[in-house]
Amino acid sequence: MRTFSALVKREALDGKNGYFYVPLILTGITLALVILSTLGLGNTFYLGNMENEGIHSLADAMNMAAEEDPQEMPAGMTLLYWMTTGLSWIAFPFVIFFSLLGALYEERRDRSILFWKSMPVSDWQEVLAKFFTPLIIAPLAFLGIVIAAQITIALYFSVLMLVQGGPAAALWPLGLMISSWFSFLVHYLLWMLWALPLLAWLLFVSSFAARMPFLWAILVPVVLVVVEGMFFNSNQIGSWIGLHMGAWQDGAYMSANYDIDGPRDILKVVMGGIQWQGLTYTLANLHFWFGLLVTGGFIAGAIHMRKRAV
Amino acid sequence: MAETQEAPPVIRARNLSKSFGKFHALKGVNFDIPLGRIVGVIGANGAGKTTLLNAVLGLSSYKGELSVLGLNPARQRGALMKDICFISDIATLPKWMTVKEVLEFVQSVHPRFSHEKALTFLARTKVPMARKIRALSKGMIVQLHLAIVMSIDAKLLVLDEPTLGLDIIFRKQFYQSLMEEYFDESRTIIITTHQVGEIEHILTDVMFIKDGEIFLEANMDTLTQQFTEVMVTPGKEQEALALGPISKGTTFGKTTCVYKNKDRETLAKLGETRRLGLADIFVATMTGDEQ
Repeated sequence: MRTFSALVKREALDGKNGYFYVPLILTGITLALVILSTLGLGNTFYLGNMENEGIHSLADAMNMAAEEDPQEMPAGMTLLYWMTTGLSWIAFPFVIFFSLLGALYEERRDRSILFWKSMPVSDWQEVLAKFFTPLIIAPLAFLGIVIAAQITIALYFSVLMLVQGGPAAALWPLGLMISSWFSFLVHYLLWMLWALPLLAWLLFVSSFAARMPFLWAILVPVVLVVVEGMFFNSNQIGSWIGLHMGAWQDGAYMSANYDIDGPRDILKVVMGGIQWQGLTYTLANLHFWFGLLVTGGFIAGAIHMRKRAV
Repeated sequence: MAETQEAPPVIRARNLSKSFGKFHALKGVNFDIPLGRIVGVIGANGAGKTTLLNAVLGLSSYKGELSVLGLNPARQRGALMKDICFISDIATLPKWMTVKEVLEFVQSVHPRFSHEKALTFLARTKVPMARKIRALSKGMIVQLHLAIVMSIDAKLLVLDEPTLGLDIIFRKQFYQSLMEEYFDESRTIIITTHQVGEIEHILTDVMFIKDGEIFLEANMDTLTQQFTEVMVTPGKEQEALALGPISKGTTFGKTTCVYKNKDRETLAKLGETRRLGLADIFVATMTGDEQ
């Protein structure tokens, strides 16, 4: 266990640019944008008939929203915080993609594999650490930074409200915010479980590609899909990839109630137990279990390649 | 290495082979390496040295029997590395880590590593703890690697061209620290290098490899006593040739002959004699007719 946590720590250090600095920079940009836009609200932003309705500051807008629909305020604010911090997540899939693709490739390229192999750590431990670190550390780091950003934005808005005279208390739907953070994790976990075979493919590519793992990772599935289409006139592989990339949600959330009218309904759909519905759907789904089998195959392949790699 | 000992050998290889496609890098070699030796594995480029060491270190697959400290290296590399250390050429330390981070990593995965010892070794060098390895000089990287290796209480140390590309001062220091602060009867060291002259005084045994076969395994003392070079006094050339030198050449206009297993007193009558260095012995046995 001590060995494994040392490996995870090493991987986190190795990928700290992607896991920490990238979301930090994006979040910094987000905060700057938020501050700039609030300062300019009413001047630079000219939405609809804002002026006619007497909106000259954020406080005016808030007061009006709170007046018009007080029940929607908490959900509205929670969604607002998520939307403003949405920019931070842009890099997330890329970070995971390139972390896995470089995991077993870079160590061969810079020859540090010879040093790692001189340590009493078996290849399966190394491979598993390299597989799970990006999948666990990256979302936690991104989420942590996003949470900090949401709180910062709420604090900044509160100060603005106090100065401009708006409803400061309405800016803190803490209960909803906290449960939205947890529900994000559950959604992520489900997404990751389904994507495992594709993620394991990336790791497998990084274990054997002598160069250009990026091309291997993309070209092999593309060629397979094209060949299948040409000779069998079908698209089994393509739809399998699509299923694991996210199309599984079609089946999982088919029965969900999408009668959306306002922020409260959106949160209800996203957080109102739908993830548990998704989880039970997933666990009862043969495609999912077959995907895990494929994952195991790719991981075993990566371990095998790591054993022979120098 | 021929003598039998009570302790089981550190390495025991029987019919050890390795092929890359049609190329036979190792052709069924047999050898034992007992405890407490410093063995030089000498051979030309592509002779099979690194292939042999990689098999011993569990870095590659092989055919035949191989036991290292009683373990099967191909299957039990993880466990084996508790008792083995190796440096496979320089510059394998992770460049993106700082010195401090590397030490902490080794500390947390290696049960036989002493962090304090490593710090003591490093305190004598100019290696800065906070700097990334990428920013260290070649010499500093080797000092760091050596400090790590010497702080691990291992039974077998394998050095594959450990000082390649280093200047002479670092090379000397490298072997000096190894001898003075690391080596003892309970450890075994295997070294390959092209700078044979720099290690010959520390070796206890040598193994010459050629074309995937071990063609000479010997104790250093015995080996160096076997070979004598004579700078033949002018006029005695016929006599010298009659004794059957394994190789001959010319130095400063004089004929020099190398003899194997010839009485030193007889040879002394032919001219000035001297012991051959390991590099010369290697060349002489490689090129000369075996007797």
